[in-house]
Amino acid sequence: MNEEKNIIQKAEEELKKRYTRNMAVASSNLCVHCGMCIDQCHYHMATGDPKVSPVAKAEHIRKVMKKEHDWLRRIFPRWVGAGELTEEGLDRWVDAAFRDCTLCQRCIVNCPMGVDTPLVMATARGVLNAIGKSPEILRELADAAISREENMEFFKEFYLEQIKSMEEELQAKVGDPKARIPIEVKGAQILYVPLSGAHTIMPESEIFYHAGASWTISMFEASNYGVFLQDPVRAKRITERIVKEAERLDVEEVVITECGHAYATSRWEAPKWFDRPWKFKVRSILEVMDEYIRLGRVRLDPSRNKGISVTYHDSCNLGRNGGLFEEPRRILRACVKDLREMTPNRRQSICCGGGGGLVALADYDDARLKAGEPKARQIRATGADTVVASCDNCRHQLGQLNEHYKLNVNVVGLAELMVNAIVPKKIPLGTEKTWAVSNGPSLEMSQVSGAQG
Amino acid sequence: MGAAMEDSFLRFVKFDLQIVALSWLVLAYLIKIYQILRLPHPREVAPRKGSQELGVIYSYASLFFPWSMESTRHHLWRWFEFAIYHLGAGAAILATFTIPFAPSIMTRHIRLAMAVLVAGAFVMGILKLWRRILSPDLRVVSTPDDYFSLAGVEVFFLFTVMALATGSSGWMKAYFITTAAFLFYVPFSKISHYVQWFFARAFFGLRFGRRGILTPKRAES
Repeated sequence: MNEEKNIIQKAEEELKKRYTRNMAVASSNLCVHCGMCIDQCHYHMATGDPKVSPVAKAEHIRKVMKKEHDWLRRIFPRWVGAGELTEEGLDRWVDAAFRDCTLCQRCIVNCPMGVDTPLVMATARGVLNAIGKSPEILRELADAAISREENMEFFKEFYLEQIKSMEEELQAKVGDPKARIPIEVKGAQILYVPLSGAHTIMPESEIFYHAGASWTISMFEASNYGVFLQDPVRAKRITERIVKEAERLDVEEVVITECGHAYATSRWEAPKWFDRPWKFKVRSILEVMDEYIRLGRVRLDPSRNKGISVTYHDSCNLGRNGGLFEEPRRILRACVKDLREMTPNRRQSICCGGGGGLVALADYDDARLKAGEPKARQIRATGADTVVASCDNCRHQLGQLNEHYKLNVNVVGLAELMVNAIVPKKIPLGTEKTWAVSNGPSLEMSQVSGAQG
Repeated sequence: MGAAMEDSFLRFVKFDLQIVALSWLVLAYLIKIYQILRLPHPREVAPRKGSQELGVIYSYASLFFPWSMESTRHHLWRWFEFAIYHLGAGAAILATFTIPFAPSIMTRHIRLAMAVLVAGAFVMGILKLWRRILSPDLRVVSTPDDYFSLAGVEVFFLFTVMALATGSSGWMKAYFITTAAFLFYVPFSKISHYVQWFFARAFFGLRFGRRGILTPKRAES
């Protein structure tokens, strides 16, 4: 009983800490329960269950906030829907915040009032994490990222060996023994931050090689599980590793790999956590690839990806949360001849269901695959045989949706597709041998070792 | 004597009571605004990709563009319902000022036009209430205040229509008494949502505008 009291007290304290101006507005009477958000959520689209609509999910948290802040809370709490925070209620928060919401932001862009439901759900995640009710695997993954820096000597040798082996692979691929995957290069223009695994290193290395870029690869991975936990301490620690590395190497910019949450975090959220402005800028690899194409630093021939029809999945974190809508499309138009849009797309894109760290939470697999049904329908409607996703989480989820809903598509990253279309500068355009792509580009680099985007 | 008493009572509900109720509303809103402004507000500091200013303008203006959101585009009727309801509410509130303070502009035609607007809002309110009662999606999130506020506004609309259409002293009294009761209750209810609406839309515009998400080019196709 005492333990329960302690948990509740701690949760209430955490809620107070997180009671900002935005949160006060989002958890107030602003939500008039009009229901316009209900069928905009992919969970509701997939299940039709009223309990998983954005308004219903947020109401679990809002009722506790109302108990604290609504003017009628003391006299007529039930009248305004205010309620006590209980341990049972907190368990409902876990389902609402970690299982039934990917923080995709589609509800806020479709709310006529502008209710920031994702903020409410993120606050719930933060509170649950503070009282130890967040999913353990997310905490472990976040801690593993932190411990990588703390035990760098242990990891470094192994990592350098891996990079060396990939470098040899790169040299063989481009036919140039001087091709490098540079590491720890002081004064490089770009610090490229990949994910764990070759699939976010090899294609990008090849692009950098062909563009003649000045770059160095990060010792760390881009993913930040502290963000999924809404844990400000862990999230900052994970970002800080890269910030320190970028400052030590004196790079001009940090370029984040094809990873939605890592980009949105590094580009938009993390600068708020530091009390000093950064000396470098942050971009996504998509912006860099787009720039290389526009400046003519790489030549592309879409016929190298011949015979495939492609549709692009807007990752919520890259698009709706990050502002990258046109960059990937410009790249795609340069890489393939048959690009088909899903409907709706861009700001109104439907979440694939794998965001918010859900792909790492095996307990929620069934709910996740069910929530991905609207995306599967969208993909099927395009008739495309290749789905491009610039986020590792999305790619992982789309791969599973492909299997589960028998979509019969290839799921690939944008860099892979771009690499496939690159015309090496030595070869005059139009005279080289075209690579055969019968059913989508080579997937050898898209074998995801563990989704992190 | 009776008529004189009636007039003085009408005058009381029309002026004194309204001023007291309105003063309370203003005070309550100032407190609400203060309660929001005193809280910490983490600012966006990342370099801009788009315009925050245009974002805020877009955010407020989107109210008038049902095509800017998929929710309103798919439920166009609900947007019309919202528009008519709020236009009627605006007319009903405006009448509480124009009847006592600018009676000369309240010609028969103006009164009838306002009555029609408010009657439209009344019908939309019935539909809203009906939907809230019938829809399982809405029932699951509705509080007693949701039903009461809607019903209360319906009574207010009804008395407004009758007062505007007939101009009779009895309906006028009912109208002004309801208005005062309404003004006293509003700060405690969801009807006060429009105070927070200004903040919410600004926050939305600042964030999404800065990130370059709200410019028309970036809208979905």
